[in-house]
Amino acid sequence: MAELILCGRGGQGIVFLTRLLGDIVSSKGLNVISSETHGMAVRGGSINSHLRIGAFSSPLIRNGHADFLLSLDATETDNNKHYLKSQGVIVENSPLPSENGVLRVDAARLAREFGRVQLENVVLLGFACMINEFPIQSDEIKARLALHPNEQVRAMNLVALDAGSKACLTERC
Amino acid sequence: MTEKQNSEVRFLMGNEAIARGAIEAGCSVAAAYPGTPSSEVLESLVRWKKELNHPIYLEWSVNEKIAFEVAYGSSLAGARSMAAMKMVGLNVASDPFLSAAYLGVRGGLVVVVADDPGPHSSQTEQDSRFFGWFAKVPVLDPGTPAEALTMMIQAFDLSEKYQVPVLLRPCLRVCHARQNVALNVPGAIGDVGPFKRNWTRWAAIPRYRLVLHGELNEKLATIVRDEPGSLPSLILGNASASIALITSGSVSSHVRDIVASDPEYGDIAVYKVDMPFPANTEALQDIVDSHAKTLVIEETYPVLELQIRNRTKVTGRMSGDVPPQGELTPEAVEDILVKTLDKPTPTRSTPTVKPRRPSLCPGCPHRPAFYMIKEVFDKSVYAGDIGCYTLGINMGVVDTCLCMGASIGMAGGLFRAPLEENSFRVVSTIGDSTFFHAGVPALINAVHTRSSFVLVIMDNAVTAMTGGQPTPATPTLADGSPAVPISLERLVHGCGVDFVEVVDPYDHAQLRETLQKARSYTYDEARGVSVVIARRPCVMSSLAEPSSLRFEVGEECDLCMSCIKDLECPAFKFVKEPEKRMTIDVDLCAGCGFCVNTCPSHAVKVKGA
Repeated sequence: MAELILCGRGGQGIVFLTRLLGDIVSSKGLNVISSETHGMAVRGGSINSHLRIGAFSSPLIRNGHADFLLSLDATETDNNKHYLKSQGVIVENSPLPSENGVLRVDAARLAREFGRVQLENVVLLGFACMINEFPIQSDEIKARLALHPNEQVRAMNLVALDAGSKACLTERC
Repeated sequence: MTEKQNSEVRFLMGNEAIARGAIEAGCSVAAAYPGTPSSEVLESLVRWKKELNHPIYLEWSVNEKIAFEVAYGSSLAGARSMAAMKMVGLNVASDPFLSAAYLGVRGGLVVVVADDPGPHSSQTEQDSRFFGWFAKVPVLDPGTPAEALTMMIQAFDLSEKYQVPVLLRPCLRVCHARQNVALNVPGAIGDVGPFKRNWTRWAAIPRYRLVLHGELNEKLATIVRDEPGSLPSLILGNASASIALITSGSVSSHVRDIVASDPEYGDIAVYKVDMPFPANTEALQDIVDSHAKTLVIEETYPVLELQIRNRTKVTGRMSGDVPPQGELTPEAVEDILVKTLDKPTPTRSTPTVKPRRPSLCPGCPHRPAFYMIKEVFDKSVYAGDIGCYTLGINMGVVDTCLCMGASIGMAGGLFRAPLEENSFRVVSTIGDSTFFHAGVPALINAVHTRSSFVLVIMDNAVTAMTGGQPTPATPTLADGSPAVPISLERLVHGCGVDFVEVVDPYDHAQLRETLQKARSYTYDEARGVSVVIARRPCVMSSLAEPSSLRFEVGEECDLCMSCIKDLECPAFKFVKEPEKRMTIDVDLCAGCGFCVNTCPSHAVKVKGA
């Protein structure tokens, strides 16, 4: 069982990440349920996704129950921190240094370095999946991203995932 | 259709599962009008059609009433048919919906109506199960995406068996949830044979409507007697528990998880009702009678609760124990449960910041249109409408927003306020899709009654807010096959409007001149309705031509903040350190360059020029 909140602004690819992780878990034969934000809020407003792995019926995570908070926009973290359990981990897209309980990676800068800031979501995931307790492994994500039919998109996603993973290893070693 | 599909599991959104259910049930005609949280139902049908090479006919209808009527027509012609919409769409479709219940159907007819408790992206929190009750139409209420797929098939069977329309009511937390869902082999296309003439039924005059009403009542009584869906089923706990909890739909999933998560709730028996209307009132009463206390948790109105005859031992919305408005989130459910058990309310942390408000996208063609409307019309009354452009509120150019098409209908009344006549001006703004949906009759009315206001149709070629669905002006249908595109300007002319001008909202000078001409026409010359069509494709759509230009703020900037306050472009960022300055976020900027014209100190320039 694991519960994850993903948050950011509309247009940052939160739904893409939620779906990617859910697809991976579902294809392993496990139960998974998630909730997404659509509609007016996606026009640049605050959005989040809930992802629950395990025997759940509700797609919503209760306050104080999430294991991870993946935040693509640091200004959205405070909007969603209440979902985290006391030992929960925040993974944040931010140029600031990490601190206790908040691991930070400048995913936007890394993504811009290889030309597409839109890939900051995959960079952040690449970083998060290297954390020991993260419920989905890097290899599983790679295998899923490698299924994308468009060669260029496939290649860029894998580059972005690697960039995030390397940043995590550098930070933690 | 291979064996492989039989055992396949996919991570499906509720709306994708609903669409899959329709395909598995042998549905062959589906019509919809987009609206959050229902829009992905027809979009998913398009994908299933392509993936399975399925013959289903799909259309984005001009509005929900037409969508229902198309589905109803094909049901009479023998096909299993469906219509999909959001709850306020059912208000639009209510006329044929209520009549269809009396007349009945032939091929199974399912109406998917998505509710939005909260509301997150809607005008009301209305409960479509109540609408089903009002119309005397059976309602199925799924709790998860997987259940929605199964119920879709049950809904078609039920509809065809009893020859009544059936309403499937998913809430947003089902529509926009995703879950691992098992797929089955799609069934054969349903067909009960061609239309047969029977005017006492299909064209019934009032005398026969009375007979049909009696038949409908009999159908509902038989459904309650014979269909297991009307029976509450014990999903958690023990029938000997002292507290019964009756629930239905998406909130039943929160209830299930919370009650199962904590032994403190061990003395609660949870009963779930799949078909909240018509409910088996005797079975509900049996539950109430066999427990010391009964709590009803449902969204959003007390539909099951009101069907319990003796409610002296019942708590719920009618007793004030369930909040009368707002989404029943897991936290809200938890609060209701602890209150019922006389336990202290749990302490929990809440967000410390306000959520970011939505804005028109950088490069959105509505932004320059709104900016110039405000400049040209200044202190007017701005009648707005439903769509992305409701966000004109942020720019102070939307004063009213009631429902689809009301910008035009209301303008016809706003300008007539007796004391204010001739002293204030009314400018209406409406999107192209909303104009087709409900604006056309209102415009005919306004012209015919010699109303006097300016109407700006913000034509971005798509139904943008809901994800860029086609409009009647699109040359293709939902599945990409050819359509007959309807000309907006010919339509406006046809409504009797003499002043119709088309302008590109990115063209600063032309936009100002056109709006000034409309102002003169309406307020100084003809005193009639003038229509300006501000035409440029949605910046998020595939029709948009991306600009490679980027802009920067030069030293001339005196920090007047007009770009943030008046233009309200999200690409502008005010930086406080190391020194105060205005910047443009290159990642957000779409390169429209309209800010070059609006910056009072002419500080915005092409980057690198």
